[in-house]
Amino acid sequence: MSSSAPMDYYALLGVFRDASQEEIKRAYFEAAQKLHPDKNTAAGETEIFLEVQKAYETLANPKRRNLYDATLPPEIANYSVITQETLFSRPNLVRMDEPQMMYAFLEISPREGTKKIPAPPLNICLALDRSTSMQGEKLDVVKATAIQILRSLRPEDVFSVVAFSDRAEVVVPAGMNAEIKKQENQIQMMTAFGGTEIYSGLAAAMEQTRRTLTPGRIHHIILLTDGNTYGDEQSCLELADEAAAQNIGISGMGIGHEWNDIFLDALAGKTGGSSAYIAQPKDIQHLLVEKFNTLVSIYADDVILECKETDGVKLNYAFRLQPELGALEPSPLVHLGPILRDTPLHVILEFIVQPSALGEKTAELMRGSLKPIISARPLPAQPLRFNLSRPVRAQSSDETPPRKLISALSRLTLYRLQDRARAAADSGDYDSAARSLNRMATHLLAQGETSLAKTVLLEADLLEKSKTWSGSGQKDIKYKTRALLLGGTKENLL
Amino acid sequence: MIICSNCKHSNMDGSMFCAECGAQLVGKDAFVTQNISTEEFKKIGGQSPIHEKIQQPLGDDSWGSLHLLDSGQVISLSGKNEFTLGRVSEGQPIMPDIDLSAFQAYAAGVSRLHAIIKRDGDQFIYMDLGSANGSFIGGRRLSPNIEEPLKHGDIVSLGKLKIQTLMKS
Repeated sequence: MSSSAPMDYYALLGVFRDASQEEIKRAYFEAAQKLHPDKNTAAGETEIFLEVQKAYETLANPKRRNLYDATLPPEIANYSVITQETLFSRPNLVRMDEPQMMYAFLEISPREGTKKIPAPPLNICLALDRSTSMQGEKLDVVKATAIQILRSLRPEDVFSVVAFSDRAEVVVPAGMNAEIKKQENQIQMMTAFGGTEIYSGLAAAMEQTRRTLTPGRIHHIILLTDGNTYGDEQSCLELADEAAAQNIGISGMGIGHEWNDIFLDALAGKTGGSSAYIAQPKDIQHLLVEKFNTLVSIYADDVILECKETDGVKLNYAFRLQPELGALEPSPLVHLGPILRDTPLHVILEFIVQPSALGEKTAELMRGSLKPIISARPLPAQPLRFNLSRPVRAQSSDETPPRKLISALSRLTLYRLQDRARAAADSGDYDSAARSLNRMATHLLAQGETSLAKTVLLEADLLEKSKTWSGSGQKDIKYKTRALLLGGTKENLL
Repeated sequence: MIICSNCKHSNMDGSMFCAECGAQLVGKDAFVTQNISTEEFKKIGGQSPIHEKIQQPLGDDSWGSLHLLDSGQVISLSGKNEFTLGRVSEGQPIMPDIDLSAFQAYAAGVSRLHAIIKRDGDQFIYMDLGSANGSFIGGRRLSPNIEEPLKHGDIVSLGKLKIQTLMKS
C-alpha cells in the first residue's frame, strides 16, 4: 500500500469488493486476532490495527459502505501477492451427451517483487514415537537428528519435542532455545517403551505449538512414527482439522512398513502438510532435515483453494506435484500447501464435466478464490480470484496437450493404478489388483524404472498366489511411484 | 467415449491416459520425456556418465550445462531457472541444488553455499553468495552478492574449481 493512494479498506481486510457482510466480519476477526495490541506488541502494528478497525466500521455498515464504494477508483484486477497460471489439457470442451474430462495444471508463484520478505521465524514441534519398536538404530538416528535441528535453529525460532508411546511426555517444552545443552541432554535421555498411541502425542504437540501461536510465525508439527495407532485415527483427523483452522501444519513421516500410510497421508493432507515414507533408519536424518529446510524457505505457509459448487462439474481428483508431493482432498476447501521462495506450487486438477454444465458458448469449471496465508506479513493477504472456464465447441481440437501436463499425468496415472490395485485388493478382488500391478510394471519397464518394476511384479505375483501384500512392498510401490512425479531421477529421495 | 487401443476399456472423453491400463490415449506423437536408466552403464563398469546425485537432463528443456574442466563431466541445468552451487557437508542442513563434492570441491575451496546461477529470459546470471574463496569469471574476481551476466563459453572459477558454462540461447 503506497501512502499516496487512498486506503483501500477491502485490500486491508484481504477481501474482494463484492464480499458479503459475513465475509467482511470473518476477515475482520481474523485480522483483529493477529493485530490486537493486547497480543501484538510489534512496533507500528497498533496503527495498522486502528486502520483495520476503521475499515471494518466503514464496511460493516451497508450505508457507509455504499458511500465509501463510490469514492473508490475502479478495482485493479489483481493486487494479490501471488500469481497463478493455468494450463488446460484441451483448448475447449465438446458439446456432447456424455460426461467428459478436463485437466488443469496450476502454477502458483509469488508476485514479482514480493519475494524479498524476510523468512518468518518458526514454531516447530517434533512429535516422536518412542514405542518399544523404535528401540535401537531408529531412535538413535531420530535423537541425533532432533539435536541437529535444535542446533541449526535461529535465535528467534521456537522449538519443542514431544515423545509418545501409550502416553505423551514433553521432552523439550516450547521456547526459544536458551539452554541448548540442557535440551540436548533431555533429547538424549529418551528411551523406548510402550505401544503407539498417536492421538496422545499429537494432542501434546498441539498444546506445545499453541503456546506460541503468535502471528508472524510458521507453525508446524512433524510427526514421526513407526507403528499403527489403534482406534484413535478419527480423533487424530479431527485434531488435524482444528490444526488447519489455526494455521498449524502437520507433516507425517512413517518409518519401516508397520504404519498406516493412508491415515498419515490423510492427516497431512488436511493441513497442507506433507507425508513421507522412510524405508531405512538411515534415511530419517536426510528426510527430516529436508523437511526442516522446506519450512525455512517458506514464502506462503499455505494456499487455500475455496470454491463454490458448480452445477454439473465435479472436482474429481487433485494432486500436488511440488514443492512436496501429495494427494489433496477434493473438497470445497482445499489446503493446497506451501509456496517456497524458490519453488512455486504446482497442482493438477481433474474435472468431470456433465452435459448439464455446458453453456451456450462456455462452461464454468470452477468459481472461487485462492487465499495465501503468509505469516511474514502482518495483514491478511489479498486472495486471488480463481475462475476456470473453457469454451464449448462442436468439435474437439486436435491440438496436443501441453507437454508438462502429459509428462506429469503419465506418472500420476501410475500412482493411481497403484491406488486402484490397493482398493481392489482391499475389497478382495486380488486378480484385478494383480492385473493393475502388472500393467503398472509394463509402463515402469518402458520408462526405464527396472528395479521398481521388479518390486511391482513380485508383489503382483504374491497377491495372485497368497492373496496378500508383503508389508514393505505395498509402501515401496506407493511412495516410489509417487517419487517418480518429481520428474527427475533423484535417487536419494527415498 | 474413447476406447483404449490397448485394453478396450472405455474412457470418458477428454481422458489422457486409460484409467484401466494406464496407456496414453492422446498426444502420443508428442515428445514425451522419459528417463534413461543409467543402471546399464554401472554394470558395464566404470562411472556413470553423470554423477548419480546430480539431476539428469529431462528431455530437451535444459537451458544450459556446466562443464567441469578438471573431470570433463557435464551437469545439465534443467527443470528450474535457478540453481545454487556448493557442496554438502555432513551435519549441516545446507543442500545446494548442485552438489559439487564429487569433484574435489572441498580441496578446491568451494564454499557450502558458493554461488547461484540462474536464467532470466534469455539472460544468464551468476552471483557469488559471499563465498570464502570467491568466484572468478575469466580470471576477474567478482564482488559477492552482485549479479554478473554470464555468456556461453565463459569459464567460471569457484575457488579453484573451474567450470565452463555452456548456455543454450
